[in-house]
Amino acid sequence: MHQISRRALLGACGAAAAVVLAGCGDDDEPDKGQDYTGRRDGAMDGYGAGQQFTATQPLNFSIMMLSNAGYPYKADWLFFKELTKRTNVTLQATVVPGSDYNQKRSVVVAAGDAPMIIPKTYHPDEEAYIAGGAILPISDHLDLLPNFRDQVAKWNLQSDLDGFRQEDGKFYLLPGLHEDVWADYSLAVRTDVLQQLNLQIPKTWEELRTVLRAMRAAHPDVYPLSDRWSTPPNPGGNNLLSIVGTAYGVQAGWTYQHATWDATAKAFVYTGTTPQYRQMVEYLNSLVTEKLVDPESFTQSDDIAKQKFANGKSFVISCNAQTLVNELRPSIAKIPGATVLKIPTPTGPMGDTKAGTRLEGGVMISAKARDSKNFVALMQFMDWLYYSPQGKLFAKWGVEGTTYTGNVEDGTFKLAADVNWGGLNPSGTKNLQVEYGFLNGVFVYGGTTKLLNSQFPKEELAFQDVMNARKNQPLPPPRPLNAEEREQATLWETTLKDHVNQQTLKFILGQRPLSEWDAYVTELKGKNMTRYVEVVNAAYNRYKKAHG
Amino acid sequence: MKRAVLGLILTGVVVLTLYPFLNVVARSFSEEQAIQAGKVNLLPRGFNTTTYEVVMSDPVFWTNYRNTVVYTVVATAISIVLTTCFAYVLSKRHLKGRAPLVGIAVFTMFFNGGLIPNYVLVSGLGLRNTIWAVVLPNAISVFNLLVMKAFFEGLPTELEEAAAVDGLGTYGILWRIVLPLSKAVIATMVLFYAVFFWNSWFPAFLYLDDADLFPVTIYLRNLIAGSTGGSDISTPSDTALQIAANIQAVTIVLTALPIMLGYPFIQRYFVSGITLGAVKG
Repeated sequence: MHQISRRALLGACGAAAAVVLAGCGDDDEPDKGQDYTGRRDGAMDGYGAGQQFTATQPLNFSIMMLSNAGYPYKADWLFFKELTKRTNVTLQATVVPGSDYNQKRSVVVAAGDAPMIIPKTYHPDEEAYIAGGAILPISDHLDLLPNFRDQVAKWNLQSDLDGFRQEDGKFYLLPGLHEDVWADYSLAVRTDVLQQLNLQIPKTWEELRTVLRAMRAAHPDVYPLSDRWSTPPNPGGNNLLSIVGTAYGVQAGWTYQHATWDATAKAFVYTGTTPQYRQMVEYLNSLVTEKLVDPESFTQSDDIAKQKFANGKSFVISCNAQTLVNELRPSIAKIPGATVLKIPTPTGPMGDTKAGTRLEGGVMISAKARDSKNFVALMQFMDWLYYSPQGKLFAKWGVEGTTYTGNVEDGTFKLAADVNWGGLNPSGTKNLQVEYGFLNGVFVYGGTTKLLNSQFPKEELAFQDVMNARKNQPLPPPRPLNAEEREQATLWETTLKDHVNQQTLKFILGQRPLSEWDAYVTELKGKNMTRYVEVVNAAYNRYKKAHG
Repeated sequence: MKRAVLGLILTGVVVLTLYPFLNVVARSFSEEQAIQAGKVNLLPRGFNTTTYEVVMSDPVFWTNYRNTVVYTVVATAISIVLTTCFAYVLSKRHLKGRAPLVGIAVFTMFFNGGLIPNYVLVSGLGLRNTIWAVVLPNAISVFNLLVMKAFFEGLPTELEEAAAVDGLGTYGILWRIVLPLSKAVIATMVLFYAVFFWNSWFPAFLYLDDADLFPVTIYLRNLIAGSTGGSDISTPSDTALQIAANIQAVTIVLTALPIMLGYPFIQRYFVSGITLGAVKG
């Protein structure tokens, strides 16, 4: 008895060491040394990119299934039937209401009860689970994901992926991969008002100023721009700050990042003190001073902002494709002749560029899966469903001949006569998501621009064409913090952000003169800004040294 | 004159308390444009029942509504039995170890094991995906327990002594003497527990993995999040717009209605019950 337990202990140590050593594989070089003996049940031999995955025996994989209120989960969706037919895999769903998905995910993962596949996770949410060891470092197993590797290489996503890496050089989340940055948020403008005043759609922020001035001149009792999306924890005018920030080359508003990469100094600097951030603040302040932007834009609720727009008390408001069609357009239906358009985001000193990531929240794999005898098959299945062109097309549009016809690549794609989604085929009576389970947020992430564009009506396509012609702003280099640093940094970030938000708002609204900018920078220094930037730069240098 | 002033003040109070509710009811029957434009006050504008129809034509809604009723009835019954028994025992001053027992109960008012240990416990007991995961973990509310205990302590001991002399045992005394005298406090407890379980969604959300087992609160909560969150891929249609506009109002009406209908009938006990335990001689 004594001996056996000692031997078992030795074996366990050996296994642990093997796992640790296996984890030491260099970055993402497909680790040929990985030994998957005994974990290949059901897997295909020689599975490769672009190939149909079909398990060699029927397999069951458990999945955390977000049930979206718009299309509540149904076990008998065509999606699941067809998936099993094609891949020989049956998904066993733990159904979680979308309203509180993250909370349940946290509990289930922490309790060690997580299903194998955990989708709908947005970076950096996965970081909370890494220390507990419940999540598989997926970058160790990229050798099993040929389609994923293929797309990363083809679309040059390596530096995007670097942003997901932890201090150990690994990443733990399989992100959705986009061929290009998908720009969605912009400004909606009343085009009938533009026409009345003989104005063109503004292309730059300075042109927007001219447009707003003309609107104000013609309607002196109206603030031409009264904005929405001002809910905390962001400063207010969250989208406005974000898109103006992009034009000046800084991430602000709801895309605020504490550290901005300064390419000339080759170091990170604190965003809220950069000259670009100041320029953005100055620009917005000038709009408020000229009474072109409603000062309430930064504090009012969405409902109030929408009401002003609906009642003709403002002509410009933040929007995305969805709110344009769902909210803004119907809301002005009662104003005779009123029309509204989502304009391409105005540009600024950064020229024709757009900012954003080409990665989308993705899927975590439970660490327990690694010991399953179906591990290799699971990886191949994930690769096929989430990354192969066939899998993506299937998850998005379904079965050719049943839910759609034609081809996405050559633009002949059409939904089947009786199927509708997003107003693409208004005469269709069956909703692609509700009745069939396709285009489900749990399974559809990223893809080619053509695949993305196939979901847009003509109007949105025109917007996308303009935005796609713009160049992507370069991404900052990776600077992963370790758990301790992260904890400390989070504390600093909270107070820093509070102060930046408050003062940004005061500067914009003119409650604090811009001559006090230097005092503001000093205040931030008093809130550990310098130490924060030091930690970030140390992490950058450390990572660079260790991983190149 | 004094009556008139009082009447005026009371009318004002009534208007203040009723207005939010009437506004919610009005919104639930109004059309989307009127709501977006902020034109709905006391009466519905552009009468519209789309959201009601969509919600109520979904069989899952009714399955979940039935679940809520079952969970509420079973949970309330269990809670009343357990709370009464515990409170009655604790009200006996001659009980050995009474102080530690009270201490144990009160301790849980301030400290608990936390979310994840609770989940592991319920999971380990094999309760997940059963009704018991919903009705057992919150069976005794310590606050209610203390109210009941104080009430029982206020009953004259002579009554129980007389009953004992006449030959009743412990359970006989509880059943025939104490409980008939405690209708008020029990009705109050039924009300407290029933409302609590009716509105409760978190244990169900945590411990149930099957949409057919969910209470209606989760169904409606998800519906609200889905129609107002809007981060997912869009489904723009007139129906979706209408739902987004007044789903919250419809939800409030649908879940509050049964409680509003029942409340007036228990309320008179409620008023006397809550104060009965509060003052003891």
